[in-house]
Amino acid sequence: MGTLLSVLLSGLLLGGLYSLVAIGLNLIFGVIRVVNFAQGEFVMLGMYATFVAYNLLHIDPYLAILLVFPLLFVFGILVQRFILQRLQNEPMMQVFATFGLLMLLQNLVLAVTGGAAYSIRTPLSSMAIAVGPVQVSVPRVIALAAVTAVALILQWGLRNTMTGKAVRAVAQDRRAARLMGIDVERTYMLTFGVGAGLAGMAGALLTPIFTLSPQIGGNFILAAFAVVVLGGLGSVPGAYIGGFLIGMTEALAGYYLDPSLKQAAWFAIFIIMLIVRPTGLFGLAGAEEVGLRVQE
Amino acid sequence: MQRRTFVAAASVAAAGFATRARAADPIKIGAINPYSGGAALYGDETTRGYELAAMQANAKGGLLGRTIIIVRGSATNPQEAMAVVEQLAGRDKVDAFIGTFISAVSNAASEAALNNGKLYWDTQALAAQLTERGLPNFIRSGPNSADFAESSVNAITGLVANGLGKKPKDMSVWIQHEDSIYGTTIAKDQQAGLKAAGVTIVGVNAYSARAIDQTDVILRARNANPDVWLATGYTADNNLMLRTARDQGFKPKAMLLTGSGDTFETLDAMGKEYLEGILVVTYPRSDINPAYGPGAPDFLQAYRKQYNRDPIAPQGFTAFVGAQIMFQAIQAAGSTDYEKVRVAAAAMDLPVGSAPNGFGVKFDAKMQNTRAKPVIVQWQNGTPVTVFPEKAAPIGGKIVDLARK
Repeated sequence: MGTLLSVLLSGLLLGGLYSLVAIGLNLIFGVIRVVNFAQGEFVMLGMYATFVAYNLLHIDPYLAILLVFPLLFVFGILVQRFILQRLQNEPMMQVFATFGLLMLLQNLVLAVTGGAAYSIRTPLSSMAIAVGPVQVSVPRVIALAAVTAVALILQWGLRNTMTGKAVRAVAQDRRAARLMGIDVERTYMLTFGVGAGLAGMAGALLTPIFTLSPQIGGNFILAAFAVVVLGGLGSVPGAYIGGFLIGMTEALAGYYLDPSLKQAAWFAIFIIMLIVRPTGLFGLAGAEEVGLRVQE
Repeated sequence: MQRRTFVAAASVAAAGFATRARAADPIKIGAINPYSGGAALYGDETTRGYELAAMQANAKGGLLGRTIIIVRGSATNPQEAMAVVEQLAGRDKVDAFIGTFISAVSNAASEAALNNGKLYWDTQALAAQLTERGLPNFIRSGPNSADFAESSVNAITGLVANGLGKKPKDMSVWIQHEDSIYGTTIAKDQQAGLKAAGVTIVGVNAYSARAIDQTDVILRARNANPDVWLATGYTADNNLMLRTARDQGFKPKAMLLTGSGDTFETLDAMGKEYLEGILVVTYPRSDINPAYGPGAPDFLQAYRKQYNRDPIAPQGFTAFVGAQIMFQAIQAAGSTDYEKVRVAAAAMDLPVGSAPNGFGVKFDAKMQNTRAKPVIVQWQNGTPVTVFPEKAAPIGGKIVDLARK
């Protein structure tokens, strides 16, 4: 019983990590319709920024979110404004551009760090608490709490603020939104900025858990894309719940089946979902614009 | 007649000039390693070893009377390996190749070197299959995966068994490994060795080094309740594994890592308190006893002088020694021709303890050096200290309590 609880809890916490990375990706994917291959590298940048803030400025990784989110937010706006917006009518070129960005960022960080694997250790990062018979890693609990808060805030913002409504309008129909007086380019920049900022925040929350490397973004991004498609493009609850679905599947398959087969297990669910419900859990069947519309 | 004499004299003079010119030409050695990508740190460290060996040889008159020049060629995968070998052979006109710890790169680079008629001297790729191919230009001076597995088995049945006060047949071991050919091959040999020694293997698990959660592996290991936790992986996944073990309260009596886990990268991640007592199978480090590795202090001094810091990993020392053995073989062969070097290397017979890091030299029929063995280090107060073989332990160095607190 204790083992089953441990497995379930580890799946829940792992799901939190996946949701954390997927939520920003989903915003960009769902609203701007850009497959941002560099999203994992935004997470990686967030991790290195946190590392630098911790070592040079002695800022706790969790406080560093206040620094890293705005940094990545501005970086995202610049990427959208000066790279993706210029390729607005060439979706394939946008995809290539994000791939180019991936290579550029990885190699830049590699050149600066020389490829050394860095880590952060704080009193919180090495803390685990006992919940009955189960041991729980504190940094993972914090990540879960953070992604839950972010999902709630994001969902509330999209529903109740004018900016949020503008984002949803653009996601549904760019032309109609423009005719209604919404500044589409500004909305895209804002969305990409928030998506990148969320990736940076994810990076800060992941830094106490993982050893940093320039390639670490790639470890998260494949699962994050699966989460996005599974949950439904552009859907905040989709990304949130999709993360737990993948995390729980991975934990159960890893323990009860085989650790080397756990990715195969969630890929199988992913493929089944694509066949049975191609728009994802929270997507709207038959609509071109899926995801955010379902929140209407 | 006079004309004939003149032509002959001119020919002799020209030949002499050509010989002198050739003698003055440097010997170029292409150093194949990853200088970009995730393994760049170790690629650079490895080539520093070659460069130090070349500097020292040049200070003593060079090789075959010629200055040695190390020409770097970056390769992180087999495709890049083939391309860079062609480039170095064609553009830079290198005379021979030396490289790398990435077995797949070594595999492709050595074949490409053979196509160009060049020697490929391997200092530290681990895959045992590399010498099994029977490539005529391939010689490996460093230990292979079987040596790492053998050392870990010897450590468990000797060092750890003594430390725990148990006989090997009363001990239980959990084996886990990352799932590429590197981890898989070592784990397979570890299983065979431990079984032969009568040790009970309570579980074997493969995992992906890219997985972001290892709780499943650790929970399985914890439930198996082994005496020894034996893990083969890379740095980042080993760190995650250790963190997960700590978080899950998994405390086997002894923990033994193979291949990585003895650098600042693991110390930064885990801290010295947690690492205390953990064992690592690794290349001979520069702290080894000079009675075992007679050139360790000199290497350390030369490295510090050249690079203004300590080596960050032991790979550079093994590369340094590998390059020295290569130079000796080339000197004995009188040429960089791979057939002649192979004959000269096969004739080398130096006992264990001859090389600066304690390696000996005796190649088997497949040109694997049979006298190059890893060592076991133990984390003690934040420093990896060599503890096995006992002769390699630094003066005053000894194993501390193995049991996990």
